[in-house]
Amino acid sequence: MAAPDFEIPQFQEHAVLDIPKIKEGAMSHIKSFVAGQSAQEYLGYPWELGENWKERAIERMGEVLKKYRSVRVFLDACVHCGACTDKCHYYLGTADPKNMPVARQELMRKVYRRYFTFGGKYFPWLVGAEDLTEEVLNDWYNYYHECSECRRCSVFCPYGIDTAEITMAGREILNYVGMGQKYSNEILVKVQKVGNNLGLPGPALEDTLAGLEEDIEADTGVPVKLPLDQKGAEILLVTPSADFFSEPHVESLIGYAKVFHAAGASWTLSSLASEAGNFGLFNGNYETMRKVAMRIRDAALELGVKRIIVGECGHAWRVAYSYWNTLTGIGYGGEDPYSQMLQKQLDHRYPQPMHICEYTWDLIQKGVLKFDKSKNDHRIITFHDSCNVARASRMGNEPGGQFTIPRNIIRAVANNFYDMDPNTIGESTYCCGGGGGLLTDDLMEVRVKGALPRMNAFNAVVQQNGVNFLALICAICKAQFTKVFPYYGFDMSMVGGVHQLVSTAIELD
Amino acid sequence: MSTLTIIYTVLFYVATLVFIGGLAYRIYEYTRTPAPLKIPTTPAPTTSAGVVYRMAREVVFFESLFKSNKWIWVFGWLFHFGLLLVLLRHIRYFQEPVWFWVEFLQPYGKYASFMMVVGLLGLWARRFLVDRVRYISTPSDHLMLALLVGIGVSGMMMTFVAHTDIVALKAFVLGLMFFDWQPLPADPFLLIHLGLVAVLMIVFPVSKLLHAPGIFFSPSRNQVDNPRERRHIAPWAAALEREQA
Amino acid sequence: MPTIEVNGKTIEVDEEGYLVNLSDWSEEVADFLAKEEKVEMTPNHWEVVNFLREYYNEYQIAPAIRVLTKAIAKKLGPDKGNNKYLYELFPYGPAKQACKIAGLPKPTGCI
Repeated sequence: MAAPDFEIPQFQEHAVLDIPKIKEGAMSHIKSFVAGQSAQEYLGYPWELGENWKERAIERMGEVLKKYRSVRVFLDACVHCGACTDKCHYYLGTADPKNMPVARQELMRKVYRRYFTFGGKYFPWLVGAEDLTEEVLNDWYNYYHECSECRRCSVFCPYGIDTAEITMAGREILNYVGMGQKYSNEILVKVQKVGNNLGLPGPALEDTLAGLEEDIEADTGVPVKLPLDQKGAEILLVTPSADFFSEPHVESLIGYAKVFHAAGASWTLSSLASEAGNFGLFNGNYETMRKVAMRIRDAALELGVKRIIVGECGHAWRVAYSYWNTLTGIGYGGEDPYSQMLQKQLDHRYPQPMHICEYTWDLIQKGVLKFDKSKNDHRIITFHDSCNVARASRMGNEPGGQFTIPRNIIRAVANNFYDMDPNTIGESTYCCGGGGGLLTDDLMEVRVKGALPRMNAFNAVVQQNGVNFLALICAICKAQFTKVFPYYGFDMSMVGGVHQLVSTAIELD
Repeated sequence: MSTLTIIYTVLFYVATLVFIGGLAYRIYEYTRTPAPLKIPTTPAPTTSAGVVYRMAREVVFFESLFKSNKWIWVFGWLFHFGLLLVLLRHIRYFQEPVWFWVEFLQPYGKYASFMMVVGLLGLWARRFLVDRVRYISTPSDHLMLALLVGIGVSGMMMTFVAHTDIVALKAFVLGLMFFDWQPLPADPFLLIHLGLVAVLMIVFPVSKLLHAPGIFFSPSRNQVDNPRERRHIAPWAAALEREQA
Repeated sequence: MPTIEVNGKTIEVDEEGYLVNLSDWSEEVADFLAKEEKVEMTPNHWEVVNFLREYYNEYQIAPAIRVLTKAIAKKLGPDKGNNKYLYELFPYGPAKQACKIAGLPKPTGCI
């Protein structure tokens, strides 16, 4: 780990942090790298502010206001009550007042008021309306890239105002005037050109999977397969490409493969749809998000699969669960030929798409899988609810299944499990600090400080219960904690996936 | 008819028009703007009946605010339910004869004004005492509170200290309703009270008071969690899909 | 675009110091980049760097961590074929720091 050039926040004794006093400008020096010409051009955006950038920005804002009720209602409805001010992990970790959800929204709201409302047009000083200047635009860039779109604020807002919607609109307008973010936009190019966020080409994927098959067989003596592009397979598994590449992600991929093997399922990965993640969500652009999601529809049609299952990835599950049906017709209830074409092919006995945890838990309940729980006895486990899974999706048939199902799996495969403080899990979970397009080295200070509320609650169970394993169901969470743990004095090997635990305990024959 | 009566008569017609017209326009605008994606804050109800229940809990009990901050919840709830009782009490000025339950509510409505003003002062105090809330407060936030406190206190003055001629007032109000204009008592507290109410009605559709209709249109609260079972698609998105198919 | 000077030659790099053109790489450039990263290149470091380049030439991507650890185990012995050893060599992470020294683009994604 390189020596940080910023101060690492200190743990507090209680699991839930004290609310810091505001420190104006504490994070104003942070600016994520701006996307260059090639990425911007590919995505159809300019790459520098043109002369008429202001008109373009206002025009785009007007279009967004017409297309998204959320943005319009959220910009109108806020009463500045202050309920959200202490809910954002970035505020708690940095004390920068512009990281309070309402203040983050206000960056856009003041411009909305100025150009789109009566009060702002005629009495700007009264309602806090402001002209859109380059300074304001830069503030947008900084602070809309210090929001992980985790929706924690929306749980606590009396009107359900979701700052993520404002951040997405802000990034859309920024892109439209030529200020895209390098990290997210380069990934959006790779996923469209190569097929996944990493830019892992088909042959490399094939080689990697073959290597994993060797490893599993060497380890267990059982020839567990990781099939690729297998036509006629029953199940298509779509998983974040980090699962092919990184530690500890790959351990969960091995876990999924073992579950499929134990269940005797016919399944396949797809080189066309070798990415569950969809950074189109982060940028708030419907068309980009749709284009990226289309690869999964195309692969499902081409391979003729009956079921689509999604691996451990938080925002991917949000897009899959909440948006795939809308964007590409993956789901049920479509009455148009476009969605029916796919929906007729799918097996109606199962929800589509299905989360890998739903799949595994279903098999556990049916008694199909066998475990030796003692193999996880060296681990004392806690579980972090990923923001997008917790507050923007569901698992199972009951509301809240996204909280119970992963925990049920952990309890079924391991003996030592402790939850973190109830105010920091479930719908109140804190983001890992690296979501929403912030998982990049140029935002390391934001990531480390934004992780504080989660790290503090984690530290409490480490101290009280001797926890030594943080179980996750999100590729971003895994990468973020692996990077951030050492800053807080924890070993990165304490981070892993839920299906890594499954992988350890499952009995294969 | 006195100049004063003419001014207030005109003022109330204008205020009513702006209030109803402005609010109707806003609601029309919200209705017309689609929510293209499913974004209920989960866990969310999986049926429409569940959504009605969730919304009712939000509107009646301020459920999310309760989770969020007990001080804001206490003051906010005192204010809004004080205001509700006070408003219900005021129905008596708009009808003859007066409904039984409006009669019944009179004493409660009278004392609810204390709830209302205490709630407002609590919320106002937070704008000075809590650094985070101080940071986000704009002049209009303070003015809005001043306006509401002004309405509440001027009304209480008439209820508890310097009574006004409510028979004449009722004649004035009924006169407005039936276009049979009657003189308004020239009582300072009444004039302040009515003037501020008219201002409130006028600013309603162009201010943060839009949170009242807004909550019902908030997609994070009013959507059913059923995206896998029902295909949700906005008209503009369906057009895009046809274009690209 | 920022640049670096190596042996009198001007080479383009991106904001984070990764080479823009892969063909600009040479062992001197690697030494230079390693110094910037405060990594002292030993033969074992070179094994990693050379493997990364070979793999990249074949697949147009850096190898997955597991592929890398397995290759290193084969070359340097099983006790060295693990993530921990790679972090000892390249403290800021084998994928990111070693790729930089090897002149490869930075792997990004959810990693």
